[in-house]
Amino acid sequence: MVLEGFNRSWLGSNWSQHVLFGLTVLLSVGAAWGIPGFATTWNGQTLLIHGLPLVLLAVGLTLVLISGGIDLSITSVMALASVLGAKIMVDAGGGVPAVMLGLAAMIGVGVLVGAINGISVAVFRMPSFIATLTLMMLVSGAAILFTRSQKIAGLPDTFITTGQQLWLTGSLVLVLAFLVHLGLKKSIYGRWLYLVGLNRRAAEISGVPVKPVIVGVYIASGILAACGGVLLTASLETGDPVMGQNILLDVVGAAVLGGASLQGGKGSVWGAVCGVGFLVILGNCLVLMNVHYYYVTIVKGGVILAAAVLDTQRSTRA
Amino acid sequence: MSPDLAPPIKMKYFVRLSLSVFIGGLLMFSGCSRESKPGAQKAVIGISFETLETEFWAAGLEALQQELRNRDIESVVSIADGDASRQLQHIRVFVSRGVDGIIMVPKDLHTSLPAIKTANAAGIPVVLFNRPAATHDDAHAVKVVADNRRLTQETVSYLIERAIDRGGKHLAMVVVGDLGDSNAVARRDGFYDAVTKHPEVISVVSEVPSEWTQEKARSGVTNALQANPEINFIFSSSDFLFPSIVAALRAADRYHPIGHPQHVILGGFDGDATAYKMLREGYLDATGVQDVYFEASQAVQAVLDMKAGKQVADEILDPGFVIHQDNLAEMAPRMWGAQVGP
Repeated sequence: MVLEGFNRSWLGSNWSQHVLFGLTVLLSVGAAWGIPGFATTWNGQTLLIHGLPLVLLAVGLTLVLISGGIDLSITSVMALASVLGAKIMVDAGGGVPAVMLGLAAMIGVGVLVGAINGISVAVFRMPSFIATLTLMMLVSGAAILFTRSQKIAGLPDTFITTGQQLWLTGSLVLVLAFLVHLGLKKSIYGRWLYLVGLNRRAAEISGVPVKPVIVGVYIASGILAACGGVLLTASLETGDPVMGQNILLDVVGAAVLGGASLQGGKGSVWGAVCGVGFLVILGNCLVLMNVHYYYVTIVKGGVILAAAVLDTQRSTRA
Repeated sequence: MSPDLAPPIKMKYFVRLSLSVFIGGLLMFSGCSRESKPGAQKAVIGISFETLETEFWAAGLEALQQELRNRDIESVVSIADGDASRQLQHIRVFVSRGVDGIIMVPKDLHTSLPAIKTANAAGIPVVLFNRPAATHDDAHAVKVVADNRRLTQETVSYLIERAIDRGGKHLAMVVVGDLGDSNAVARRDGFYDAVTKHPEVISVVSEVPSEWTQEKARSGVTNALQANPEINFIFSSSDFLFPSIVAALRAADRYHPIGHPQHVILGGFDGDATAYKMLREGYLDATGVQDVYFEASQAVQAVLDMKAGKQVADEILDPGFVIHQDNLAEMAPRMWGAQVGP
């Protein structure tokens, strides 16, 4: 009976976040003890440089997963935002106004693509997988066409130096994540979102404005992806039309590891942050340990698979 | 507990056990890792590759590691899986490990500059293997690269000689790579250097952008063959795209050996195992071979010289060579694809 009670609480709504947080701490402590070079300020900065954009993407994707959908277009939003913003900054002379204009255009890309995704899913009732996959192809094609596959270098120093200030980018990510957390947990919109994800039909009957909720969540995902594009563009000092092409699995994995359910209705900002933290620290440890590339991929894939299996088990029990 | 819940609960224990074993294993592994390090006096070179997706990069990595082993130097290896941000992270990890030098295949011309700057700032010499980066005042790295443009020009010139031998006007297609990669640009330019000298023999009717992906190469070549069924001269900017090109040619019933009246003159670049097989079977006319062993040896020597404070040229060129039907037996022992293939 005691074990059964423990199991029930362990399988409660927040169990995966707590377990994941515990595993992340355990992994970090083990790595600090066993892996030379892990517990250093330099490596901490390395983890942040790599992890901060992923946090933004994972938080945005978690919102969409809670609504019962998925957003596969986030990396293409990053890429288009990156090249459009870079082009504007370079062509407009590189001063502060040019940087502001470029940043506005980058966020604008996120809003626009998010709105199209949201309308496709909410109004035209397209499956989110198809809608966002199609837009991913379209937006990626636009980014490549816009630059003819060329990277855009020579970005303004103001943008690069500001964008590489870890305290600033870290604070930005923290504020954005906290705002999303508040929106999810403390606002009526957050409750509507969970309800839509759990049962869209029931939400409609209950008077929840389902379509605006869904459109809003895709716009939020687009904005967060564009913000991730801002950070990566500053970090790489380049507008890149194929930016982030290979990180989608990491983002989906982090969101699922963090407890977001592929069936909808579950997920949290804290879980997404923990998911990114675990995957980034795990990847960092494996590279520091000189584990072969193929094993790195297998290990990360295995962890994400385990999370997906757990998600299925939780859904079966629900 | 109701009976119908039993299977999920068992599965849950299984997953939890798997996670525990995984974490435990990782911690044990990390403990072992620490014990193996103290007192190590060997030089350590970090090798950061952007990808391992083609035979060329796999052969390049193996050649570098073999060269380091021959010199009793330890290596740490990371693969960025096509992501520039991940490569930056890996270079920072190398810095935190205190490696003596870094040999790197950058993602592309520009996105690798922050990684090079990071290594430079830590006083770690950087050598770029087979792919250059953009020049920048704050990012210094020695490049060991094939002379892509000249070698492509020589290869295509050989193909043009075969076209002249056959007689008549030839309609040409060039399959280009990712134009964000300077190697792809140089190969495209080398192709045009050669064909523009012979407008009476070659007319370029199609330029297929592959972005270094098989899918885009196949669809591009298929479309080009449909639009221009008379194409009878194809140059691929990399041998690794041949499976796609051959598939498209077969589908159009245009894949015939040398000597067949409908043979499409075929040329490539790299010298991989597929190209070697096609040469042996008489389907490929010529390919420009990058001397991967020469490049590996030069890259290791350069990084050691830089570490020792010696002067090293900013660019070390691999002249490579053209292998074709007439010199196949003679040059095959120097072709890396002939060594790694089945």
